[in-house]
Amino acid sequence: MTIGISIALILSSMLMILLVLLHKGKGGGLSDLFGGGFSSSFGGSSVVERNLDRLTIITGVVWFVCIIALGLLLKP
Amino acid sequence: MLTAFTRAFRTPDLRKKLLFTLGIIALFRLGSVLPTPGVHTENIALCLKEAQAGDANNIYGMVQLFSGGALLKLSVFALGIMPYITASIILQLLVVVIPRLEALKKEGQAGQSKITQYTRYLTIGLAILQSTAFIALARSGQLFPGCQQEILLDKDDVFGIITMVLVMTAGTGVIMWLGELVTDRGVGNGMSILIFAQVIAVFPAELLRIGQQKGAFVFAVVMAVGIAMIALVVMVEQAQRRIPVQYAKRMVGRRMYGGTSTYIPLKVNQAGIIPVIFASSLLYLPQLVTSLFSNTQEEPNAVIQWINQNLVTGDTPAYMITFFLLIVFFTYFYVSITFNPVEVADNMKKYGGFIPGIRPGRPTAEYLSYVLSRLTAPGSLYLGLISMVPIVALALVGASQNFPFGGTSILIMVGVGLDTVKQIESQLQQRNYEGFLK
Repeated sequence: MTIGISIALILSSMLMILLVLLHKGKGGGLSDLFGGGFSSSFGGSSVVERNLDRLTIITGVVWFVCIIALGLLLKP
Repeated sequence: MLTAFTRAFRTPDLRKKLLFTLGIIALFRLGSVLPTPGVHTENIALCLKEAQAGDANNIYGMVQLFSGGALLKLSVFALGIMPYITASIILQLLVVVIPRLEALKKEGQAGQSKITQYTRYLTIGLAILQSTAFIALARSGQLFPGCQQEILLDKDDVFGIITMVLVMTAGTGVIMWLGELVTDRGVGNGMSILIFAQVIAVFPAELLRIGQQKGAFVFAVVMAVGIAMIALVVMVEQAQRRIPVQYAKRMVGRRMYGGTSTYIPLKVNQAGIIPVIFASSLLYLPQLVTSLFSNTQEEPNAVIQWINQNLVTGDTPAYMITFFLLIVFFTYFYVSITFNPVEVADNMKKYGGFIPGIRPGRPTAEYLSYVLSRLTAPGSLYLGLISMVPIVALALVGASQNFPFGGTSILIMVGVGLDTVKQIESQLQQRNYEGFLK
């Protein structure tokens, strides 16, 4: 049981990292951190981006559930 | 003030944005207290108590501050935004050094987003490194020096340890995404709001601790000093020099354009709090490296010993001087990155603007950079002094380094707070409402 959830957790962690990296970085790094420049966000998100969002949220939920389940299982 | 808040909540899309931001912050805090599976929570709580009871000047002060106390608990979001900040610093410095990156930066929007993408990759790389380092520290019992409790449940289980490293790395990725979501759909800049949330999160507990340990009088003095400092910081952050610009009248077709007079606002502290963050995360690096290499039992060499003596805690002269000089350097560096006098002068010339008494073109650019460098001098000294305040003055009272009214935390709170309020205000003004700041 523990091994199974661990494997699920490892897989979902990797998928999570991959999905986050697939997103287009919004915000432009540090340059507009703490009120630097003028932030301009033109246009809405594309269909691809929206599907990616949905997928990331689902993976995130699975990842979260796995963490809690494993944490409860491993509790001494 | 309060009526402005209720107005902000009455505006439908602003309300949506505010609630979205609050939701993300809640998620973020939840992840910061959720322990990574495989960590012995009770023992960590014991060790934390021990570390706080002693006068142990917390070695991870700065990192602990940015992670809102999550780091030493080894929670899922233990690394916080630190890897992202470090990655951004590295790329900012590399842009100056590597010609290819410089070319990308000059390309404008497309190049900038490519650099952002590199920053994101580097963040994940750094996250893997740092999570491995911290798990290794926890495994060898060096995370809490002097605490005998076992922190990990099973420290010989390689599979479990790999899981923990991966979970913490993925946590950093999630934080990055949350920050970007806030930037995109919420209020203010996501990353700075997340830092803000972490700084605020440790605030009440630290204040309470001082009240309990030192008594009511010290507590009152600390509060008074803190409020005075906040007032000072707000004053300097708002201070700006207005350089008048006159636009010539011109006819385009049958329409008349220009003829207005306006000004370029140059802030005293144009760089914000980035120099402080840069300096403190750079100063943290040698200590991270030594803790990685000193795992073995053998006698540490002279360099490591020197670093351990001088650069780990904030009360040595070497640390203070380096910190101060780094802040001054980074202030000038960051101002030179964000404000380009030649570009501003060219733009002004293109639209028929000029500073009264100075010819457009090169003389204007020279004038601007002259004013800016003179203006940055007090700005950088102010930043340096404010961030020295907790180290110098409060060491006398005997407060810990991640003291609530520490210079860095005040700068972050005020800076991010002012910026966010201004953004909300500008959104309110689109609907002709009075804002928060009158």
